[in-house]
Amino acid sequence: MNRYAEIAVTTNFSFLRGASHPHEFALAAQAHNLDAIGIADRNTLAGVVRAYEALREIKEDTGKAPKLLVGARLVFVDGTPEILAYPSDRTAYGRLCRLLSEGKLRAPKGECLLTLEDLLKWQEGLLLVLMPPHPGRTATEIGPPAKSWNQNLARKQGGSGVIPKEKFAKTLLASSQELEALLIKLKHAAPGRVWLGAFMPYRGDDRRRLKNWQRIAHAAGVPLIATNDVLYHTPERRELQDVLTCIREHLTLEAAGRLLEANAERYLKSPDEMARLFRDAPEAVAETIRFAERITFSLDQLQYHYPDEPVPKGKTADQHLADLTWAGAVERYPGGIPDSVRETLCKELALIKKMQIAHYFLTVYDLVCFAKSRGILCQGRGSAANSAVCFVLGITNVDPTEIDLLFERFVSEERREPPDIDVDFEHERREEVIQYIYQRYGPHRAALTAARICYRSRSAIREVGKVFGLSEDITARLASSVWGSRDDELKASEVRQGRFDPENLVIARAVRYANQIIGFPRHLSQHVGGLVLSNDRLDEIVPIGPATMKDRFFIEWDKDDIDALRMMKVDVLALGMLTCIRKAFALIEKHEHKRLNLAAVPREDPAVYAMLQKADAIGVFQVESRAQMNMLPRLKPKTFYDLVIEVAIVRPGPIQGDMVHPYLRRRSGQEAVTYESPAPEHGPPDELHAVLDKTLGVPLFQEQAMKLAIVAAKFTPAEANGLRRAMATFRNIGTIDRFRRKLIEGMVARGYRREFAERCYRQIEGFGSYGFPESHAAAFAHLVYVSAWIKCFHPAAFACALLNSQPMGFYAPAEIVRDARAHGVEVRPVDVNFSEWDNTLERGANGALALRLGFRQIGGFSQAWAAKLVGARGNGYADMEKLIHRAGLPKRALIILAEADSFGSLGIDRRTALWRLRRISEPQALPLFEAQHVEEQEPEELAPLPTMPPSEHVLVDYEMLRLSLRAHLMEFLRDLFAAEGVLSCAEIGTAPDGVHAAAAGIVLVRQMPGEAGVVFVTLSDETGMCNVVVWPKLVERFRREVMSARLMLVEGRVQRSPEGIVHLVAERITDRTVELERLSEDYGAALSGRVRAGQYVHCHPRNERVIPRSRDFH
Amino acid sequence: MTLADARAIVPNLEVVEADEAADFHLLERIADWCGRFTPFVALDPPCALLLDITGVAHLFDGEAALLDQIRAELAQRGFAVRGAIAGTAAAARALARYQNGVVAPPQKEAELIARLPVEALFLDPATTHALRRAGLKTIGQVAERRRSELTARFGSQMVFMLDHALGRVELPITPRLPTPDYRAERQFAEPVITHEGILATLASLACSLAAVMEKQGLGARRLEAVFFRSDGAVRCIAIETAAPTRDAGIIARLFREKIDALADPLDPGFGFDTIRLSASRTERVEACPSDFAAEAEQQKELHFLIDRLAARFGSERVLLFQPNNTHIPEAAFVLVPAQSAKPTQDAWVAVRSWGEAPRRPLRIFANPESVDVMAETPEGPPRQFRWRHALHTVRRVEGPERIAMEWWRHETPQPTRDYFRIEDEQGCRFWLYREGIYGRETLAPRWFLQGLFA
Repeated sequence: MNRYAEIAVTTNFSFLRGASHPHEFALAAQAHNLDAIGIADRNTLAGVVRAYEALREIKEDTGKAPKLLVGARLVFVDGTPEILAYPSDRTAYGRLCRLLSEGKLRAPKGECLLTLEDLLKWQEGLLLVLMPPHPGRTATEIGPPAKSWNQNLARKQGGSGVIPKEKFAKTLLASSQELEALLIKLKHAAPGRVWLGAFMPYRGDDRRRLKNWQRIAHAAGVPLIATNDVLYHTPERRELQDVLTCIREHLTLEAAGRLLEANAERYLKSPDEMARLFRDAPEAVAETIRFAERITFSLDQLQYHYPDEPVPKGKTADQHLADLTWAGAVERYPGGIPDSVRETLCKELALIKKMQIAHYFLTVYDLVCFAKSRGILCQGRGSAANSAVCFVLGITNVDPTEIDLLFERFVSEERREPPDIDVDFEHERREEVIQYIYQRYGPHRAALTAARICYRSRSAIREVGKVFGLSEDITARLASSVWGSRDDELKASEVRQGRFDPENLVIARAVRYANQIIGFPRHLSQHVGGLVLSNDRLDEIVPIGPATMKDRFFIEWDKDDIDALRMMKVDVLALGMLTCIRKAFALIEKHEHKRLNLAAVPREDPAVYAMLQKADAIGVFQVESRAQMNMLPRLKPKTFYDLVIEVAIVRPGPIQGDMVHPYLRRRSGQEAVTYESPAPEHGPPDELHAVLDKTLGVPLFQEQAMKLAIVAAKFTPAEANGLRRAMATFRNIGTIDRFRRKLIEGMVARGYRREFAERCYRQIEGFGSYGFPESHAAAFAHLVYVSAWIKCFHPAAFACALLNSQPMGFYAPAEIVRDARAHGVEVRPVDVNFSEWDNTLERGANGALALRLGFRQIGGFSQAWAAKLVGARGNGYADMEKLIHRAGLPKRALIILAEADSFGSLGIDRRTALWRLRRISEPQALPLFEAQHVEEQEPEELAPLPTMPPSEHVLVDYEMLRLSLRAHLMEFLRDLFAAEGVLSCAEIGTAPDGVHAAAAGIVLVRQMPGEAGVVFVTLSDETGMCNVVVWPKLVERFRREVMSARLMLVEGRVQRSPEGIVHLVAERITDRTVELERLSEDYGAALSGRVRAGQYVHCHPRNERVIPRSRDFH
Repeated sequence: MTLADARAIVPNLEVVEADEAADFHLLERIADWCGRFTPFVALDPPCALLLDITGVAHLFDGEAALLDQIRAELAQRGFAVRGAIAGTAAAARALARYQNGVVAPPQKEAELIARLPVEALFLDPATTHALRRAGLKTIGQVAERRRSELTARFGSQMVFMLDHALGRVELPITPRLPTPDYRAERQFAEPVITHEGILATLASLACSLAAVMEKQGLGARRLEAVFFRSDGAVRCIAIETAAPTRDAGIIARLFREKIDALADPLDPGFGFDTIRLSASRTERVEACPSDFAAEAEQQKELHFLIDRLAARFGSERVLLFQPNNTHIPEAAFVLVPAQSAKPTQDAWVAVRSWGEAPRRPLRIFANPESVDVMAETPEGPPRQFRWRHALHTVRRVEGPERIAMEWWRHETPQPTRDYFRIEDEQGCRFWLYREGIYGRETLAPRWFLQGLFA
């Protein structure tokens, strides 16, 4: 029987070259019964973990799998042909990582620049296979980096030196003599570890070429080794590989010509096939087996050590953690530690000790302590975070006595998974935490994880379309017909929606190959906050490269890879709401002298729940979206756990699994709480009771769904986890199907109703990429409660903090301000004499706190200007001349201040201020004389300008501040619409169910969630908001109006739910944007071009502008 | 609004790239056309023309009638037109935009202008914006402000524009220059009859034409000679060149070739009283330093040869081989008319390395011929084959060279070809291929002979 090991496999982690996934190669290698498979991607190890995982799974399934050889194909800039480098052992692997890191650190992001010298420096222990260039290919593919690339920066980044220009070669050393000389050179450096790679490309003269290689190898005294220089796992992938080549070279298939491979032979071949091809050199095939046997390195050997910094000398990590835990417990429970908590803590500590993860908890604790010492708010979440240990350490604020979360359910022994704690920090100050980590662990021991950016349907169709010569126009239309689900394949229906014939050959092909490359990695980027820490040099575990930010690095592996290798990472995430809460706490302390922190907010205040039940939730964390606001009156949260459910229920999982309505019915008592049960012979009828108890028998959380699979379908915990992962990574269609059958049939076989089983499956499917576990929901629910509490008792501080933390949340400033005013907060305009950069609080006449808008609300105004203006203010500016003189602002800044009408305290209105300011000349930029240089101007006798009508003031307010304190735009149009019989939003809100009515308003939000095609529009007028539902059919008919109207008139039917939630179901939509032109005598002429131009269709609601900013006022 | 946004609103939006150069060209052509009304036409890009009609209106029955005629005729040609007549260019421009069709009577003009929005002053957007914010929304409102007040804020240029619009200052329009005409002609008191006379005239016309083109840095790709016979008959003869040329000697020779080769010879009858030579298509000549070695000179001579042959036999009959970038052997070259051949980026494949036999035969059949072959499965070389009834026994063979078809050109998958270079016992060399990979694509591969090595 022939044996063979393929050592030259290029996967799709060699971007736009390899045309198969690592796992596809793994399966093919298994099918061909290869001895080993060597993954060698171009200057990267990014794909090896995927192959490792796949082979491990194969081994688990079948008991046997080809050996994985971990290596890299080194591509050089100095004309050296490519060399496959395989580390023979763990230390050599470290050297390969160092070599690649070095090449990456001196190169622009995403590239790796290597020379033969680098290899010779790190070659110890590496097995080197020189790959002669393919016939006809003599040019190097990596040239010197672009001029814009800063070499000095590269040097600073710790790369060892820069490659001098003259080293870069345009041509490969490809002649027989050159190859021979190179082999001899390599052999001297690495005796016994050099091979000459051979392959049979079907070029006609293969046998002659092989003879020649035999001769060269013999002359150089190195063995010849057979490969097929594989690019894909089956010959059917040739077409896709051609497409990838074209994408890479920015060519169409028509123009690519001989750049494409001549045939489909570069697939993974069987041992018999290889033996036949190499019948003239059987020793080369046999050599592959010897080669594979030389390699003892496996990724299993990556002994990963967590940093032990936080542990004081003389103590073990477990001891230290236990000490901290008990100390923290005493603090948390000043009245004595409850027995249940004590018991839980003991259990958890024992488990942590057993799993040897104490270091991990200590590191997270260390970060949290640092953040606390700096006054940075933070909160942990994630599976391991929901432990009593984390609570008493102050990592989380969810009291395990309040909500019963089982730690071992999430950190399970058998799952062998590293624990997971994500820590959210204030979004404006997360950077400080990251800096701290770098300082503490140094750049060699801390790096970001990678985020693998893959092709998604839109990017795929765009690029593949280009390859087929489709114009930008057509591909953009195809791409834009994909709504929502971006990982899904482009379906024929969607193609049709873009008004294309899916039968059209070119389009059908473009779509077919686009679908094939969905999920192919495109490039590696850095993860936003996933940090890998290590006790040893990180760059000996995995290659690292420079991140966008200076002195930041990221590794080549993403979070799944890290999981697979059981490495630990901390997610240092940014959360806007924490910034907002901290700012609110600071304001409350300053003005009301109350010290608060996340843990100190009074719990379970009924007033807070009463407010939430009314859906009075603008600005409240997580529950302010329209869907959430509709859910609040239905769910009527009364306790903390209700908030946990509220957070988790409006998610794709429960919605797709159709779990929302059953839950609501049970909650309101319309439906009895029952538990699905297996047939009596298979188990106790209440086996799901324990799993679904808290959610009334309806699975809502990810953990419940997993647990369900375990209890009801008898999955092993590892399988349940595999199921979740298969859902998340998604592309693994074969695996998904297997799980699907196993789950549904497993449940049905045990006597569950098929319908219930299918619903459960759908829900797990929905959890896939948006998994929302209870542990996260609980952490978020705490912030929901805290933010709601602030809003309830300190509305001014809440609004102020929200505005000062922008951008965050769901609503635009206008809504936040309006909501604050509705809650009785006085809001005062921006004023040169009172405002600061941030919004501030002032004592109002009645003693209540009033909100003073800050300069940050003015579009186009800079913080530096605000600082100058406030700094020179002293006891206030008496008149405009003094202000111009003292503040020394550029004319542009003054004009913006005037446009924003912020000279109110000087008694000068917007129009007059602007006219006066236009006259001053730009101060000369001589700082020394700055003050004097604003020349005194002759006083001017002016005829009065026409007064600005109020409606025009409002329009300009919106343009400059995106809000107006004077009036709502709709007030000016009320008579007009009233005459047409149009109701106000408030009137719609009280209209009876089923009546026909019309409403008009400014469009605040338009959303098209999911694939269904329903559009939700929120209108606003001077009386409030109105929720409009537009069904898909109507969307098609009134698409233009739906997408582009700023002022929309909707006629339709009022729909009122029992809980009093009112929707206007649209039947007819009219774009009345032109009416805005009435608001300014003849403002229309200037505005029309812009207003009619429509707004950004896909923009976040908080960024929508009612009146676009004029681009030309300075 | 971005294109993506527009498309979200109107999914089947048709998109055409703006072509400013073409727009400008069109405007120029309309300006040319307007030459029939007045010689003084000025461009006001991107989309306006200014016509100075001083003293011409009476030719068209008065100003109103002239305006109507221009508008009507342009509208007939498919343009949307706005127009107005006023005392100054700025006033006319403002009125055309905002009071389409108006002929402003001199005494009423200022009043008409005053009612227009400030946009009609065509000031920079910042100034317009400032005026609107100040509540000065018509030209009249602006005009009421004191001059010093305006100057202090917006500079004297703005005040000048205002005065210009109000007819207080005159600014003459600058009519555009006519484009040069690459044309030379000669009239004769005594009509020329002789062949030599005609050729000599063409040669001297070529000299003057060449001089004009040289000044503009142009060369001719197409030249037309027009012969006006004294009895009124006109004959036009055209030549084309492969590269832009302005060498008078070459031009004259090309015409001589052409005239000599005419199937229907030039008949001077009683003689030509006018001969005109014009360059109807010109291109920029890349100035190349004259000492640029022999290659350029060679190239020039080759072009000249091509032009001469084309002048004699017709340009579609002088062909050139060009490489085509593909693996498919029969498509690896194309024949194109030599005169219109563009230099290509593609290189010929090296089919022969030093010391080796060529990899491609000298002769490739347009239609490969089916042959019966004895060969080993799966992919062994032929042992014997029968071509055109003759049996050939293979003595030497090399291969296979496997070439897959260009899948994107075909609706259904095409079989892959395995090419073999073969020498039979007589020493004849053939190029055979097997169609279809055994086992993967077919179970019964077919064989073809596609070429013969010399």
